[in-house]
Amino acid sequence: MDLIIFLMLLALGFFAGSYAEKRHYRSIERREKALLRLPAVTLKKVDIPQGKVRSARMVHGSAVISVDYFKRMLAALRNIFGGKVKSYETLLDRARRESLLRMKESAADADIIVNVRIETATIGRSSRGKQRISCLETVAYGTALTLEK
Amino acid sequence: MKYTPRLPETNVNVTPGSPLKEFFLLACGLLGLIAGIYLLLGLAVDWLAPRIPPGLENRMAAPLLHSLEKTPAKDPRVRCLQRLVDELQAHCAHLPYHFRVHLQDADAVNAVALPAGHIVVYRGLLDKVSSENELAFVLAHEMGHYAHRDHLRGLGRGLVLMAIASLFTGADSSLNSLLSSTLNLSEMRFSRSQESQADAFALAELNCYYGHVGGAVDLFEKLPEPAGPASVTHYFASHPANRKRISDLKKLAREKGYSEDSPKPLNCASGESCP
Repeated sequence: MDLIIFLMLLALGFFAGSYAEKRHYRSIERREKALLRLPAVTLKKVDIPQGKVRSARMVHGSAVISVDYFKRMLAALRNIFGGKVKSYETLLDRARRESLLRMKESAADADIIVNVRIETATIGRSSRGKQRISCLETVAYGTALTLEK
Repeated sequence: MKYTPRLPETNVNVTPGSPLKEFFLLACGLLGLIAGIYLLLGLAVDWLAPRIPPGLENRMAAPLLHSLEKTPAKDPRVRCLQRLVDELQAHCAHLPYHFRVHLQDADAVNAVALPAGHIVVYRGLLDKVSSENELAFVLAHEMGHYAHRDHLRGLGRGLVLMAIASLFTGADSSLNSLLSSTLNLSEMRFSRSQESQADAFALAELNCYYGHVGGAVDLFEKLPEPAGPASVTHYFASHPANRKRISDLKKLAREKGYSEDSPKPLNCASGESCP
């Protein structure tokens, strides 16, 4: 009985997880193309004269992505043998890109976002260690500059 | 410096490859590892079990079977079974055990050999038997398991399985509780060759005690053939199929030159005149 539940969760995790991931990637790629005109750079200093900057404000975007049952089991197996945890790579990649996109979307009228940083945190982990919901949050933040025309 | 906006052509942060393939590879590796450990430890158990002296076995089993030790044999049927076992032990078996018989109030046609010489007989079996010889055969069969230390092998393998399960899933996982609840069952699941050996032992005992082997196969003739997967957990399902078993026993009796006589009537059920 336990085994049947386990296998069903595994199948559900795999199919639902792959579907969600494919859809998310399609959406990410489409929006990245659309927002390509807005550069987001990690530079702290840009050589734009003070007078040319009309406004500067902090913008941020965050994304929370959860792991599915299949990925978690795959990672648990990897935990035994060691090596690259490939199943979590897409998770982090999606979270980073999604948070960058949301940051850009929140500064759609800006000309450039400078000093961009990305931070990652795991959330939903209970102190008891049992029955935790493993998901991660990525926050991207930076300074959006709007220049004089 | 001129900023040229463009998207990266490939995603370097995600390793290409099928996760399903990776999962199967790792799962198979893990299962193979577990199977290997189980096989090795199982062989170690097989090697070790016959070498455990009965004194040590008694000491090890004492804390586990404490509740069995304490229950007094008030039931006249238990006293009767006990006397039969004692007679067999005194006259023929001479095993280094102090056998104690317990009666389990359950309908199953079953008898179990627990460590340290505790034989548990189910009421269902007692209801089925009609002659003393029949009962003696069942008891001698269980004693045969002690003679070959099969009960320790079964128990040892069960323990190995438990240990592996708790190693990989944690001590209080659902898999572990599932295993411990079925451990009682798995410890009496002996291989067919072990059952056949115990049968041969019982047949020799019967011939030694009564001078003939009449009644040995009577119980098996009364049992229905195990049908379908529903009876897989049934005690006799793990024994050689009944019909095969009867023919094997008869063949063995012919080979050894055991004679067959009419079995003694059983008065155990009423508890009046016991052997």
